[in-house]
Amino acid sequence: MIKRFIHQFASPKTYLFQVNKIYRYIFYISLIIYLFSLTWGLLFTPEDFVQGNSYRIIYLHVPASFMSQSLYAIMAITSITYLIWRVKLAAYFIIAIAPIGAMTTFIALISGSIWGIPTWGTWWQWDARITSTLILFIMYLGLISLHNSFSNHEKADKLLSWLVIVGFVNIPIIKKSVDWWSTLHQSASITLTDKPSIDPSMLYPLIGCIIGFFGLIICLVILSSKYQIFKRERKKSWVKEYV
Amino acid sequence: MHPHRRKRLFNIILVLLFSTSGIGLILYSLNTNLDYFFTPTELTNINIPEDKRIKIGGMVLENSVVREQSKVIFTVTDYKNYIEVVYEGIVPDLFKEGSGVVALGFMQNETFYAQEVLAKHDENYMPPNLSINNDN
Amino acid sequence: MFEFAFSSVREAIYMNGHGVYVWTVFLIVITNITYFFINYKNKINKIKKKLDASS
Repeated sequence: MIKRFIHQFASPKTYLFQVNKIYRYIFYISLIIYLFSLTWGLLFTPEDFVQGNSYRIIYLHVPASFMSQSLYAIMAITSITYLIWRVKLAAYFIIAIAPIGAMTTFIALISGSIWGIPTWGTWWQWDARITSTLILFIMYLGLISLHNSFSNHEKADKLLSWLVIVGFVNIPIIKKSVDWWSTLHQSASITLTDKPSIDPSMLYPLIGCIIGFFGLIICLVILSSKYQIFKRERKKSWVKEYV
Repeated sequence: MHPHRRKRLFNIILVLLFSTSGIGLILYSLNTNLDYFFTPTELTNINIPEDKRIKIGGMVLENSVVREQSKVIFTVTDYKNYIEVVYEGIVPDLFKEGSGVVALGFMQNETFYAQEVLAKHDENYMPPNLSINNDN
Repeated sequence: MFEFAFSSVREAIYMNGHGVYVWTVFLIVITNITYFFINYKNKINKIKKKLDASS
C-alpha cells in the first residue's frame, strides 16, 4: 500500500502537475493570513506587561524558529523515504529544503538576538537553546556545501540523507533544551499539553502568523523543488515537453 | 516489505539508535555543565573557587534592591536560598524585583560580585491591564 | 480586540524606543522571504529558457 502510494506521487512529473494546480491557492491564502496576522500582531495588540512593545518581535521570531525545526523534520522524513524506497523525488527535496531551512534558522537567530538587546540586555549568550539553534544553522550550511562539493549527484544524495538522519538528534534537543537545562531563554509559551501562557488577545495573531508563515515557506519549498527537478531531470524528454 | 528495503530500514534505525545514544551519553556526561547558570541552592551545595567566574540565576527578591551611587545591591533567590549580589553598572530595563535575573561574576565571602547583569523573563505574555486584575 | 495600540503613526514607529528592534526584525524577515521568492522564480525561468533553446 505504502509502496503504491509512494510510486504514484513519487514521479516528478505527477508531482509537478499536482503542485501546479494548488500552488497559487496556497500562496495567496497564506500571504493574506500572514500579512493580516502580522499587522494585527505588530499594531493592533496590546503591549506586554513586562516587555512592553519589544515583545512584538514574537510574531516574527516564533514562526521562523518553528519552521527551522519543522523543515529539518520534513528533511529527515524525505531522507528515510529516499534511503528505503530510493525515490528520486525525495532526494530532490532534501537539497531543495536545506537553503530554506538555513534561511529560517538565520531569521530565528537574528530576530532572537535583536529581541535580546532590549529584554535580556545582551544579544548573544551561549545557553543551551541558542547554541543548539546555532548548531542547526551550521548543519544546514554543512549540508548545502557538502552537496555542492559533489559532482556525482547520486552519491551526494545518499550521503546527505544519512547525515540528515544522524543530525536529527539535534531537533528534540533544541525543543527540550529549555526544560532540561537552565537557560536564559524562557520556556515554551504554546505547548500541545498545557494551556498557553500567552493571553488570547496576543495568541490569535501569533497562531495566524505561524500558519501564514508556514504556508509561505511551503510555497518556497515547492518553487525550490521545482527548480531541482528541472535541473536534475533536464535531459529527460518529459521535462522538455513540459516546458 | 521487500527484504532489501527491510534491511535498509533496519540500518536507518540502527544509525538513529547509535547517534541518539552517542549524543545522549555526551549530554549525560556534561549534564550540569550545560546549565547556563547556578541557582542559589546549587551554589550552597557545591564549593566554587573564588577566582572562578560563574553565572548565578534566580529571582530578584522583593524589597531587596538598594541603589548606592552607581552600585546596585540586591538578593537573588530561588525562594529556598539567598545570595547577596553587588553590581556596579547599568541594569537592563527588565531588571525588576520579583522577576528573573542572571548575573555573571565572582563569589567572595558569601557575596556575589557581578560584572554583568542580564534580565531573564518568563513565558507569560499579557496586556498590562489584565496583569493588574490578576494581582488583585 | 482590534484596537490600534498606539496614539499616532509616529508612536507606532517609535514604540517607546523599541521600534528600532521590532522594525529591524520586520525588515529582515520581509526582505529575506521576498529575496528567496524572486531568486527561485528567476532560477526557474532561466532553466526553462535554457531548455527551450535546447529543444
